[in-house]
Amino acid sequence: MLLKPFLHQCQHQPDALALQEQDRQVSYRQLLQQAQTIAAALQARGARPGQPVAVHLDRGIEAACALFGVLLAGACYVPLDLKNPAPRLSFIVADAQVHTVLGTGAMPVWLDESLWLDINACSTALPATVDIPAESLAAILYTSGSTGQPRGVALSHRAILAFTSWAADLLALTSADRIASSAPFFFDLSTFDLYAVLGSGASLHFIPAGLTMAPARLSAWLSEHAISGWYTVPSLLAFLTYKGNLAHTPLPALRFIIFAGEVFPTPALIDLAASLPQTALYNFFGPTETNVCCYWPVQRERLIAEQTIPIGLPAAGCELHITADTGELWVRGPTLASGYWRDGRVQSFLNADDWYPTGDRASLEQNEYRFHGRLGRMLKCSGYRVEPAEIEAVVNAIPGVKGCAVIGVDDQTAGQRSALAVVLDPGMSIAEIRKSLSRQLPAYMQPSRYLVLEELPRLANGKMDYGQVSILLAT
Amino acid sequence: MKEILKHFIFAELIYHEDPAAFGDDDNLLDAGLDSMGIMRLIMFAEKEFGVTLPDTEIEPDNVGSLNSLANWIRRSGYAG
Repeated sequence: MLLKPFLHQCQHQPDALALQEQDRQVSYRQLLQQAQTIAAALQARGARPGQPVAVHLDRGIEAACALFGVLLAGACYVPLDLKNPAPRLSFIVADAQVHTVLGTGAMPVWLDESLWLDINACSTALPATVDIPAESLAAILYTSGSTGQPRGVALSHRAILAFTSWAADLLALTSADRIASSAPFFFDLSTFDLYAVLGSGASLHFIPAGLTMAPARLSAWLSEHAISGWYTVPSLLAFLTYKGNLAHTPLPALRFIIFAGEVFPTPALIDLAASLPQTALYNFFGPTETNVCCYWPVQRERLIAEQTIPIGLPAAGCELHITADTGELWVRGPTLASGYWRDGRVQSFLNADDWYPTGDRASLEQNEYRFHGRLGRMLKCSGYRVEPAEIEAVVNAIPGVKGCAVIGVDDQTAGQRSALAVVLDPGMSIAEIRKSLSRQLPAYMQPSRYLVLEELPRLANGKMDYGQVSILLAT
Repeated sequence: MKEILKHFIFAELIYHEDPAAFGDDDNLLDAGLDSMGIMRLIMFAEKEFGVTLPDTEIEPDNVGSLNSLANWIRRSGYAG
């Protein structure tokens, strides 16, 4: 279902370039064949439609083949962030109740051997055709969970396709486009690269991992590959703007850039817009649960350094509503995820009238939506969602910890960082806590500040006084 | 110089490792140094050591560890 536009392109232009990674090129026909082989191997192992299959591969050609293979088998993929520590990956694989973990080469040591399938060891075969209903799940993307553990957002074929077909129309993608890809597959940005781009007959070019840390070579790469479009994050675009030698690297082919995932500081956006006068810029907005629900085609003449940019208009047929009391943004529409994946099934996050309450504060001014931060405790650290409750759960499980509270602090580099106040048993130290956390949480979740307290501040009703914790951590 | 860099990096940019246990050849990028962190690190180093670090030389090979950073800063003219 989600792959229908791609399968159409396979018939229409089988020998066109689909994927490029370094010197390796793969045509639509080759991508389909490789995906069919993986799908057949999954079916032979007994994977049933709708069952989750984890993908233990970095973004690139092999991972794309694996994702398409999972979808052709009618199963749903769970892309893993290989930078996560083993305990977190192990939790996700168990929580998702995956049927198989796809990868290449050596199996991760934390994994049960019976789950592992090396995609390069599959022999060429055709899978049985599976009828895929629109509401069946295509992907489960894990984010930080307010329940204290990573939480899987379950996306249906219908939801992803609603976004990608809208985006392909908005950007007028054609088979002549050459799109750069830098988003890891566990981020929802990647759905544009995989399904909007490959559903339009265009080619997808994976930006080599090292180039995201080498801005001048990155701009040269965009130029050499005649990249025509790119959906990425503001921090990388700011890096390119200030360190990417753009003044000496014209990018005449680059007709659009989309950014999402973080607030783009307006001064940096103004400088980017000035460096790329012919490139159309788009701000996409939406939590993973909605994929994208709002968008703003950047109007350069309206950019003012001291003002944040709007998130704009409803996207992809979504309806938006702002609550009168708290100013919370609610979303209803075709791009909404089915719910959270829990105990092997989907648990809806919709309220009575099918609205998804995003937890974001927004306003509507002159027919444009604006974002004003979060209502709840969620943080955005280097573009990743971080729920303080997840860090608290890990800290509280460390022997010698009597209690803790995690809050967010503003950070010049990451936007926000977590900070930890903790009550310890005698003999326990911050050094021990840091050591333990670095083994259990990814880098972007590590607290930037630590404070040992005799006891945690409480409100009169006994609840944690996070405001007081923030004051204590700020001093 | 490496001590000054290390102090700045672990006070301002990454919070992942125990600084005392972090070696001069250990990988800063794996430890969480990202593009925004590199931009701030370069601004800091240029001011602190009075050098210009050319944009075209920002590479994982030059910013990937404390030793490679120190070598890059020396090659760029720091004689301290």
